[in-house]
Amino acid sequence: MKLGCYGCRLAVVLIALFAFQGPALTQALNPATLLDPPVDSWPTYHGTYSGQHHSRLAQITPANVHELTLVWAFETGYAAQIKSTPILVNGILYVTTPDNVWALDARSAHPVWHYTYPPNQGLHIGHRGVAVYNDSVYFTTPDAHLISLDARDGKVKWDVVIADVKKGYWTTMAPLVIRDHILVGTSGDFDNLPGMLKSMDPETGDTQWTFYSTLPRETPEAFSGGATGGNMWITGTYDPGLNLVYVGTGNPTPVLAAQARPGDNPWTCSIVALNPDNGELVWGFQPSPHDTHDWDAVEVPVLVNGKFKGTPRKMLLQASRNGYFFVLDRTTGKSLLSTPFAAVNWSAGVDKDGRPIPNAAKEPTRDGRLIAPDEGGATNYRSPSFDAQTGLFIVSAQDSYGIYFSKPEHGDYGWAGADYGLFGKGMLRAIDYQTGKIRWTHDLGGGASSAGVLTTDAGLTFTGDSVGSVLALRTADGTTLWHSRIGHVGNSPITYELDGRQYVLVASGGTLYAWALPDRPFAIKRGSPSH
Amino acid sequence: MTSSPSHWLRVTVGDSLAVVLCISVAALCSSQSFAAQGFGNQRTGALKDGGGNSVAQAPMEEDRPGQDQASQPAQTATPQFYPREQVQTGQSLFAAQCSFCHGRDAAGGEIGPDLTISELVEKDVGGNEIGPVVRSGRTDKGMPPFNLADADLVAIVAFIHDQKIKMVSKQGRRRTVQAEDLQSGNAEEGKQYFNGAGGCSKCHSPGADLAGVANRLRGLALLRRMLYPAGNRGANPAAAAATVTVTLPSGQTVTGKLAYRDEFVIGLTDSSGWYRSWSKSRVKFAVNNPLQAHIEQLGKYTDDAMHNVLAYLQTLH
Repeated sequence: MKLGCYGCRLAVVLIALFAFQGPALTQALNPATLLDPPVDSWPTYHGTYSGQHHSRLAQITPANVHELTLVWAFETGYAAQIKSTPILVNGILYVTTPDNVWALDARSAHPVWHYTYPPNQGLHIGHRGVAVYNDSVYFTTPDAHLISLDARDGKVKWDVVIADVKKGYWTTMAPLVIRDHILVGTSGDFDNLPGMLKSMDPETGDTQWTFYSTLPRETPEAFSGGATGGNMWITGTYDPGLNLVYVGTGNPTPVLAAQARPGDNPWTCSIVALNPDNGELVWGFQPSPHDTHDWDAVEVPVLVNGKFKGTPRKMLLQASRNGYFFVLDRTTGKSLLSTPFAAVNWSAGVDKDGRPIPNAAKEPTRDGRLIAPDEGGATNYRSPSFDAQTGLFIVSAQDSYGIYFSKPEHGDYGWAGADYGLFGKGMLRAIDYQTGKIRWTHDLGGGASSAGVLTTDAGLTFTGDSVGSVLALRTADGTTLWHSRIGHVGNSPITYELDGRQYVLVASGGTLYAWALPDRPFAIKRGSPSH
Repeated sequence: MTSSPSHWLRVTVGDSLAVVLCISVAALCSSQSFAAQGFGNQRTGALKDGGGNSVAQAPMEEDRPGQDQASQPAQTATPQFYPREQVQTGQSLFAAQCSFCHGRDAAGGEIGPDLTISELVEKDVGGNEIGPVVRSGRTDKGMPPFNLADADLVAIVAFIHDQKIKMVSKQGRRRTVQAEDLQSGNAEEGKQYFNGAGGCSKCHSPGADLAGVANRLRGLALLRRMLYPAGNRGANPAAAAATVTVTLPSGQTVTGKLAYRDEFVIGLTDSSGWYRSWSKSRVKFAVNNPLQAHIEQLGKYTDDAMHNVLAYLQTLH
């Protein structure tokens, strides 16, 4: 079930291929190690290329998790919430907020360096994290630049423009490293802008290729029925065997004005499979054809190998913001399963290709339409987790309702309408990916939670509730085993092992917390996990 | 000055309380993770009960970015420019006197319309249209008269025109909803639904709690209150005027307003005004959430039924 299996074999080949790049000893991260990351690292946004947000670590168990103790807390001292996933390479943690990168000693939280980007006009909406390649740290900025920093001291190596902030673009994405490609995507909902994913040269910042999910409306080659948008603002996943990168695309623009852009509006609200060497589209699948509710399909495309209804498959799983859970064959993009995982009232069923059929009567109108889910969606961008032992896809979900308005006077530019959330109820849901059935549900105590999900081989699930606790649950049934009321968890938890000790990291507000079992003499007797 | 020590003490205590209140409000805001992001949704958060911040409980950020950062070239048909100092003065006055209904950016709240797209503001030159409305009010629509010095009124007018220039230049921003947009329902059918299939009359009566509701709320504010009266304060019943009865190990019961609830702790405000809490594992409790029927109704409404009930409520003057 693990990517690591064929990843290992491929790693041998690729390490040989990368050998010419010079001695690896002094490098922070040889990109070939991303194929099978060691447990003392969390070297890329999803931890591994699969996007499973799962760790093989098993020192913290259901039996001892109640002993967890705070090892350290790091306060940024800024009001901005940490939404980013920390990246751990070579004993150094890299954590971000808009305009800021901190490099921290992963053992002590001692700040090794702090980089601050100059004041700028871009939208400071959030930041997902950095990427690391060899000795460089890659950081996207609110005004849509990509910065290469020296991983040792945070000094700027180069600074290139990804997209034009004056047109309305911004960036928040944690770049994805695939061999010698740095993949970065853009954001922008208030202007009718094409969605872009760019591949940059890690040494120079030169653009290697650009994939456009849509084109400007007036261009003859435009293929999206008058829609723009489809921005790619969450880090994709990668199958080294198929050499395909999978990326979710955002909503179309104009956002709520349905009549301005008839048809399915490809490739907005889509999952696209691209060749990372040239950016060519291999296949695309649309979770939300002709979206009119701002339901980006950027949620993590999680890669799973296993049997589906008895047949071995390479699969892609997504719990999408529109309330549907999808299982695709990731070689071909063909649907294997499409089923709701939360309250949904906007579709008229599913078509023969597994795509939900948008009900025209639920498009935004002058007098308003009552829609489930609301604009925040049945889930959002923070990471779900896949646990191979139980076959569970665990996602922070909500059942919610909103009202959506749009009228001709709102025009056909940018938002082009108005919408308001009414009510939402947050639930952690464990989906059996073979059937789409909900195996268990854990009440999160309020509206949607702002926490992602982490599972481990010990059978633990870490997440945050909607009231303000970080939780450890038993993966098999969702029972609470430990909690601490540190405030709302605002990012996706990660875990790693240093000096034989397993750490679990979560952020709340502007503070990053590290938990572990008590550092007692007998701790050394605990078996260290096998690699 | 005639202040006595006791008077000074009262003021001090009052200020301290105000500080405490501010802190708790700030804590509430920061607990809603998006609040510090400065999104446009905040401007719609002015229900008269002091609640109902329209920002949904979900962490929307990337997904519901506001309009305050967009950057398009400014353009408007007949822009009226005023001195910067006057606009700034007007901004302060507007924030204090007008923003509660019209939003801090004058682009509309739940009660007051978006002034930046108002026809009256479009026609206004130097306050000739705005001034009389501010002075006289529009009591039929819930706007009271304001007794303002001439200079202050001119400053407010300057701010409104300045905002109009700014907002019109932000083409792609979120838009607003006018009460006229919401008049598609049939009041008679709404009344039938209210008394029949909708089950509304089990808890509500046009002669009691809903008497005159159309005078207190209109347009989008009325629609949203009708659908979920707690506003957007989340699914936690502590935010929804729920009550709870806690049974202690001794068998004694305590009933009060549900004040806090998470997976581990239950808290209430008792009849004497004290907050009390217990570990859930040590007590039994029963929560009565009067809004549960509204939550269930959200999954049952058709769009027609929703508009019909709104039409019916609009007849309850």
